[in-house]
Amino acid sequence: MDLTQAAGNPVYRFYKNPNVRFMFFGALLCLVPYLKDIGVFNAGMLITIGGAIIYSVAALGLNLLLGFAGLISLGVAGFVGLGAYATAYFTKDLGLAFWVAALGAIALATLIGLLVGLVSLRVSGLYLAIATLCVSEILLKTFESFDSITGGMTGKRAAYPTILGTTLTREGTYIMLVIVLVLLMMLTRNLVKGSFGRALHAMRGSEVAAQAMGVNLLKYRLLAFALSTAYAALAGALYVTFIRSSYPTTWTITLSLNILAVVVIGGFRSIYGTILGSFVAFIVPDLILKKLPVIGDVPGLAYIFNGVMIIIVIMFYPAGLIKLFSDARGLALRLVSGKARKAVN
Amino acid sequence: MADNLERAASLAISDLSIHFGGLKAVDNLSFTVYEKEIFGLIGPNGAGKTTVFNCITQFYKPNAGSVKFLANTGETVELVGRPVHTIIKLGLVRTFQNVEVIKELPLIDNVLIGAHTSFKASVFEQALTLPRARREERRFREKAMNALDILGISDRANMLAGGQPYGVLKRVELARAIVSDPKLIILDEPAAGLNESETETLSHTIKLLRDQIGCTILLVEHDMGLVMGICDRICAISFGKFLACGSPSEIQKNKLVQEAYLGEQQGGDD
Repeated sequence: MDLTQAAGNPVYRFYKNPNVRFMFFGALLCLVPYLKDIGVFNAGMLITIGGAIIYSVAALGLNLLLGFAGLISLGVAGFVGLGAYATAYFTKDLGLAFWVAALGAIALATLIGLLVGLVSLRVSGLYLAIATLCVSEILLKTFESFDSITGGMTGKRAAYPTILGTTLTREGTYIMLVIVLVLLMMLTRNLVKGSFGRALHAMRGSEVAAQAMGVNLLKYRLLAFALSTAYAALAGALYVTFIRSSYPTTWTITLSLNILAVVVIGGFRSIYGTILGSFVAFIVPDLILKKLPVIGDVPGLAYIFNGVMIIIVIMFYPAGLIKLFSDARGLALRLVSGKARKAVN
Repeated sequence: MADNLERAASLAISDLSIHFGGLKAVDNLSFTVYEKEIFGLIGPNGAGKTTVFNCITQFYKPNAGSVKFLANTGETVELVGRPVHTIIKLGLVRTFQNVEVIKELPLIDNVLIGAHTSFKASVFEQALTLPRARREERRFREKAMNALDILGISDRANMLAGGQPYGVLKRVELARAIVSDPKLIILDEPAAGLNESETETLSHTIKLLRDQIGCTILLVEHDMGLVMGICDRICAISFGKFLACGSPSEIQKNKLVQEAYLGEQQGGDD
């Protein structure tokens, strides 16, 4: 039963490699369109699951900021929206390729994110939450008012991405979402395991101690905000090309709060937790609760569900639902070893 | 004292003053710490000891005076006016009165934070784990492991800091200081919260830091047994003012120092 003995075994090392695991996870997600073909899912569900993947990307960025650096942002929705509109504008109006448009959208959003990062040096906690919320609301007003670029209240259309000359189908775009998510999971893990991640940890723990250890608060706060905004804008780019439209009503504070719920429910500082949180917060209300009698007809059901989940998780599972897995594994191991001991006796 | 003149000054504080509103927390204080010396700063509660530390490490900007430090480049530099996060690069590192560790990280990663400024790989290199980032991570991880080994807690390297006993966390702080390759370590009440045997181990450790790693030690401490036992020289202050400076026995005999402590701890064990 001693797993450490197997550490030198290449098969075991392969199985334990986190990047390999991320890819396996991605492969599992890629099965969804095929499950649709054999009738397990319908097309609407594919969009819901794709949406959860897209919001996972934004939530990963928020987790970097909130979970690791300890900085709050209630402006995620605004930046996802900015990424969406910018990508739609760059592809539709300027005729740029999807990946160029997405990079441009990320660069644009990151610039604004850096400005918010500068603000974060002066304010913290509740005030930072208010400041970021204001930025998001300003962006939202911009989406509504700049008809010529954003289409105003009538929304903005976009198309499935064209990559290497072929325009992807809905399923193809979905696979692209999964690939981007897996790549980001790898990048994020690398980032948080290195000196960058430790600097964020130090900043969250104590700014005084972090500075004494040589962590430049200005640099790392700006980096944290820039990265978090870049993730959000990328999520926006993915959204607009998968959903193929963007309306101002999508990018309100309720989305920011839902993404915040994702991080809290899934687990601070956990990559898989973020994705789990996103699936719980965005899929459970749509695919399960809405099917229930009476409850299913309650307006704003998703928000009520997420609110209740936040309360339950904070009270009983402050480390997030992802902890359920390690707890379950620990329990299973105890049961197995208990049985083994009995057998020996 | 004669040999002190031949030794280079590691830290020279002259005419240091800082006031908060009307309160003069540090008033025209001067003292010099020589290289490879264990130097104690003592004084009754509220004497301004930690404030002096904060002025040295630039958390507070002194209103007047200078703090000259013999940096790891071999040059003597003025610390006053430098940004806080640049101090450690010069070879000056501090620990905290209330241990400042990250509970959610294993001990080894907590120690690695001390090597933060030695990491040269950019965020991009880290994100893609390019060779330089991997190499650095491996090298400093080894170094951090050595530091934990010196302090006798390498067997706990991969345990989370949260839940570790206070004595272990204090040692983690020391290990974190070691990996920054310091010339001078400033210890803020290293024995606070430790029991007698832990304090005993601590005094050995502090001497070890000086003898093996070759750094100078400046410490603030209330445990007179420890201070008198390990310090080469001591500076006593009261209400931010200089009282006396000298060897432990000189300080114990000093009338001004005895008065300041009001017989509370007349240089003996408490």
